[in-house]
Amino acid sequence: MSAVLFFIAATGVITGATGVVVLRDAFYSVLSLVVHLISLSVLFLLLRAEFVAAVQVVVYAGAVMVLYVFVVAYVGGEADSLGERLRGAGPIGSGLRRAGAIIGGALLVELLIALLGTGLEAIEGKGAGYSPGPRTFGTPAYIGNLLLTRFLLTFEIASFLLLIAAVGGVVLARRRGGIGEEAEDAMRPLELPRPPGTGTMAEGVGRSVP
Amino acid sequence: MSVGLMSLVGYYEPVWIQILKALVIFAVALQLVPVVLIAERKLLGRFQGRYGPNRVGPYGALQPMADILKLLTKEQFRPTTSVGLLFALAPVISILTAVAAFAIIPFGDVQDIFGTKVGLYGVDVSIGPLYLFAFGAVAFYGIMLGGWSSGSKYSFLGAMRGAAQLISYEVSQGLALLGVIFTAQTLSLTGIVHAQAGMWYIVPQFVGFLIFLVAGFAETNRAPFDLTEADAELVGGYNTEFGGGRFASYYFAEYLNVLVVAGVVTTVFLGGWLLPFGIDPPGWVDPIVVLFKMSLITFLFIWVRATLPRLRYDQLMSFGWKVLLPLATLNALATAVLVVVTH
Repeated sequence: MSAVLFFIAATGVITGATGVVVLRDAFYSVLSLVVHLISLSVLFLLLRAEFVAAVQVVVYAGAVMVLYVFVVAYVGGEADSLGERLRGAGPIGSGLRRAGAIIGGALLVELLIALLGTGLEAIEGKGAGYSPGPRTFGTPAYIGNLLLTRFLLTFEIASFLLLIAAVGGVVLARRRGGIGEEAEDAMRPLELPRPPGTGTMAEGVGRSVP
Repeated sequence: MSVGLMSLVGYYEPVWIQILKALVIFAVALQLVPVVLIAERKLLGRFQGRYGPNRVGPYGALQPMADILKLLTKEQFRPTTSVGLLFALAPVISILTAVAAFAIIPFGDVQDIFGTKVGLYGVDVSIGPLYLFAFGAVAFYGIMLGGWSSGSKYSFLGAMRGAAQLISYEVSQGLALLGVIFTAQTLSLTGIVHAQAGMWYIVPQFVGFLIFLVAGFAETNRAPFDLTEADAELVGGYNTEFGGGRFASYYFAEYLNVLVVAGVVTTVFLGGWLLPFGIDPPGWVDPIVVLFKMSLITFLFIWVRATLPRLRYDQLMSFGWKVLLPLATLNALATAVLVVVTH
């Protein structure tokens, strides 16, 4: 049963990953990335990593990919994709292609080393078994414990990095006029009970509070 | 039986019981939806001072049957600008995720039925609410692909609103549940019900309950957050171009999602199958208790739909991000501090 599931999921993973690169339309690329990520979460489930599987779907398929779909559906859909532009770019394009091939080859070699080093040892293994108790491998309790004890520093550094990136994103969007000028205005004390943008008729017709 | 063992029940049950349970749960879900349909139409009628459907069958009770039959026998058509494969796939995703999410709602404790131990739920996963959010995340693609593949502006706008709404309110919904999880100290939904034996979480986690309910309205695209459909502006939103069986699938998925939210609220905040004042009925009463509490929440859904006007889009966004999210964060923080102090 798990072997059948594994092959279905693995096919999904590889087809999805290939589709991301091969497909011309950016929207379909994103969709096949979604297929890839969801199949990957099935593989995690087969490895008894329920928490990672759920987080994979919630965070990647549910949040990151939603944003991708959002952006691509709004601005994408044009016929000339990245590949077309690269092909027509002349010497720079061919240079990029060569560099891409070299980097891709290097990545392949690295991945193969990692795979052959670790994967072949585990191929006969059975994965972690189910056993009662809170410290069972792959459960949220187990991972939570690890994150707050052994990997606390890494965890905190990563969260700070993400916070900085989020703040940076907001700042960059502001510089380019992504957010309107009126957001800069300090809130008047009278408005505090009702923050701006929460709806009055005056706002609805574009007239701000006097 | 201890909570730790409870969460393992799903694994040692024989395969045939799991298959049987899956069929029963699907059948129950399939039967509940027409009941909610007729209840909603009847109640909306009463709220608006009219009778509601009263032609088909006694008291109009067979109206959903007639509706479903009509929808299923209609011709399948699609616009020439649509994308055929995705157009057919989108309603399937919607209905699949709705039924899958229904599987984790516990209708009762582990029962001894003819000498076999059966938990009255589809599966008790150790990741609990995360399972729900995972399928909620996939459900987004049902709406999104439906709107995008229709090749129509109204559908597209509806789907885009759905996307923004979903990611805005999912965060608050998750944070609202955090308070409960801190207090119960388990992610298993049956474990959460067992932890409510003394007091239902609606009392200590009232703010979390309110936030979860409001976010639930938004996640199921129900009024007053039904901007994805917004029939006054977008004809029908993401399902404008759908007809026949496919439209029926979306319809089914929407009402099933309402039932799922009602079931989760029942389980997490209203004590699941537990009765107040220490009444401990025999095991077969449990599903009835859960269904009764679920119908109360569903009634609230219909009541709100009949009462509140639809929000404007910017109101929806600023409410989600500026009111609900800080409130949910504060709630989670306060609960965390309380749990640490009292332990």
